[in-house]
Amino acid sequence: MTVWFEKQRHLIDFTLASLIRRKGRNLGLLFVYTLLVFVLASVMLYTHALRHEAAVILEGSPEVLLQRLVAGRHDLIPPGYIERIGTVRGVQQIRGRLWGYYYDSVVKANYTFMVPEDGSVAKGTLVVGPALERERGLARDNGISFRAYSGQLFSFTVAAVLPQASELASADLILMNEGDFRAFFAYPAGHYTDVALSVANPKEVRNVANKLANLLPDSRPILREEVQRTYASVFDWREGIMLALLSAAILAFSILAWEKASGLSADEKREIGILKAIGWETGDVIRMKLWEGGLISLTAFLVGFVAAYLHVFRAGSPLFEPVLKGWAVLYPRFDLVPVIDGLQVATLFFFTVFPYMAAVLVPIWRAAVTDPDAVMRA
Amino acid sequence: MIFQPAIIALLLASVISVAMLLAAAPFAIQIIRHWDIASGSERQLQLERRTYLFSTLAMFVMATQLMALMLFVFNADKMSVMFVGAMCAVGTLNVNAWGFPALIAQMAVFFLAASWLAVNHVDTRAPDYPLVRIKYAALLGLLPAVAAVLWLQLEYFMNLRADVITSCCGSLFSEDTKGLTGDMAALSPVPAMVAFYAAIALAFATAAFHAQTKRGGAAGYAVAATSVAAFVAALTGIIAFVSLYIYEHPHHHCPFCILKPEYDWQGYWLYVPLFAATACGAGAGAVQPFRNVESLRNVIPQVSARLAALAAAGFLIFAVIATVFVARSNLMLIET
Amino acid sequence: MSARPSTLAFLLLGSLLAAFAACFTDAVWLRAERGPELVSMRLLAAQLGLSDLALFTEARYTRHPAQADLHSGFQDHPLALEHFPSGSLMVPRYDGLVREATTPD
Repeated sequence: MTVWFEKQRHLIDFTLASLIRRKGRNLGLLFVYTLLVFVLASVMLYTHALRHEAAVILEGSPEVLLQRLVAGRHDLIPPGYIERIGTVRGVQQIRGRLWGYYYDSVVKANYTFMVPEDGSVAKGTLVVGPALERERGLARDNGISFRAYSGQLFSFTVAAVLPQASELASADLILMNEGDFRAFFAYPAGHYTDVALSVANPKEVRNVANKLANLLPDSRPILREEVQRTYASVFDWREGIMLALLSAAILAFSILAWEKASGLSADEKREIGILKAIGWETGDVIRMKLWEGGLISLTAFLVGFVAAYLHVFRAGSPLFEPVLKGWAVLYPRFDLVPVIDGLQVATLFFFTVFPYMAAVLVPIWRAAVTDPDAVMRA
Repeated sequence: MIFQPAIIALLLASVISVAMLLAAAPFAIQIIRHWDIASGSERQLQLERRTYLFSTLAMFVMATQLMALMLFVFNADKMSVMFVGAMCAVGTLNVNAWGFPALIAQMAVFFLAASWLAVNHVDTRAPDYPLVRIKYAALLGLLPAVAAVLWLQLEYFMNLRADVITSCCGSLFSEDTKGLTGDMAALSPVPAMVAFYAAIALAFATAAFHAQTKRGGAAGYAVAATSVAAFVAALTGIIAFVSLYIYEHPHHHCPFCILKPEYDWQGYWLYVPLFAATACGAGAGAVQPFRNVESLRNVIPQVSARLAALAAAGFLIFAVIATVFVARSNLMLIET
Repeated sequence: MSARPSTLAFLLLGSLLAAFAACFTDAVWLRAERGPELVSMRLLAAQLGLSDLALFTEARYTRHPAQADLHSGFQDHPLALEHFPSGSLMVPRYDGLVREATTPD
């Protein structure tokens, strides 16, 4: 065993010495490789943490949301609807939700107006989300007025700002009193935007949803677990698309690695030729070159991963911010809760180290079978 | 569903593996037909050179397959949140008819790959490459197996549909289920424990004996046979009682839920040594047919003894870990 | 005598591995620190009945993807394929959410 180990150590010594002799090229390759791992790892860590965050937050969302559809668009819930829902067995809590969108032409942003059911917001006051605080410069006790869709101007005072920690769920929210909401949007009395239900027995959620769909054929029940699953698969899907796109980069990098490994310089050729002339076997040369590939891969993988971790969780992923912003004026600023699992690391490993090693195998062999006399004579 | 990072990685690994083996196939046929170590002809020199390439490729493919098994199980477990009714990997694998065949095929390829690597290792230790023909014939034999894995994975992943309501481990591994899994779950703990420890002790003893004496032949085959038997007994034991102790629940028999983070990934502590030990045991058996080849007379006993030692260590670790899990648990299955 | 290159390489790799492991420790630490934020957001979601994350506020179907119309990608007129950049990050994609308004089956 120690003999084997000592032999590998000598091979590594030799590989490193040879790598250092060609510093520029190898560092360049290492840099590109690290960058690739960094980008891939950032995407994976970011989407995974966001997915986890969505899953936890949506745990709290209503078990069933019921929309009413008219001509394929959702419409207000008319009076009497909620009572009919109450007749379905298994439905525990029913509450009509009041919420809507408002486009603020001053800052060109969309807000989500919402009425908290517990009536915690007093008439004439607002509770605003943290992104609004930031973008519109609102603070406690400030006054603000909005022009309603009817043209009338409404003035409010800001009673509170939602905590910055909840920004991911509440960046653009404006909470208001029910009376204010109905007056502002000219909502007909007794109408609601949609209905949130809870179901007594969690196993019955599906049955209840079917019953609701039968009872109210114009309704569309949306189940919490489906929303959660949709969020999970949206992020997965996006991550997958990103990776599929980035695989072009992986491919390009593999070609680079192949080129680099096969375009042996005259120096390297002579080196291998001399090694073989002094008694190295082809197997030894292959082993040495595999060590070279392994060391480069491992270094790039570790450096790239650590950098990605710092980027996403410690630096607040500045590279992804423009993507998140899109054209929106209001966008959440948030610190992700780190969730790393082995599957991610294993997948990342497969995506980066595996193509590299696959790409350099053939060139390594080509180099290793070089005849000593052919090289030295040339 | 195919745009899942882990799925893309798995398919990538399978596709590259199949492509590499396909590239090696014509060469394998050439070797089988024309290999002659005594000859100094141009063709023989070419072949000898190329064996380096294809041996490396094959080793790479086999190593990939070993890792792909882990990734496959890992991924199945992680994806369970996406399917209605799935609690763990069982639910994910049950989403369509291809899940379990894909897993079993991947496991089969795992052990075949491990055996091939053992034979390859022996062969490279001898100066005249006595097993080169057999090795490449085996490689040709492995090609359909790896291709089958790729095909099963493709069918499985392409047909994953989130709106299918799948069944959970509770229904597959319960005492009342008809079929093999149900029977394994229904075993009462005492006989299951006796069989479990007996089979592992036997495998350990055989492997340790073989590692000590280095006597080839029957002992080597016995190591492989007892390893496989211990593997089966270990899986049965995990279903019949180890899982119960881990969950601290008298009726939850699932061998996949123990992989979940809720149970501190305890499953990996069990499965990694178990699979490694079984692979080493199988490898020790796989090299035995060649023990009478002249140039391998000295190599094979050494290699097979080392593999047997590894297998013995693996089974020992597995048994110790399983015992610790059982002892640490608050569940009492057996009246004392 | 200077150190062997392999020793240096092992040292380098060792420290990188340590940094890699430190990521996981740091993750545990940050989880403990930021975990309460998540819990408070879940409470807020329960309290207000929130059904979506405020990731993209620019359009209805990106602000509330779970509640958008089924065809909201084309909601303004049939050729309005996609207006917003974040639509490519957050499409209304319904795995299992596709449910006809009338399904009395």
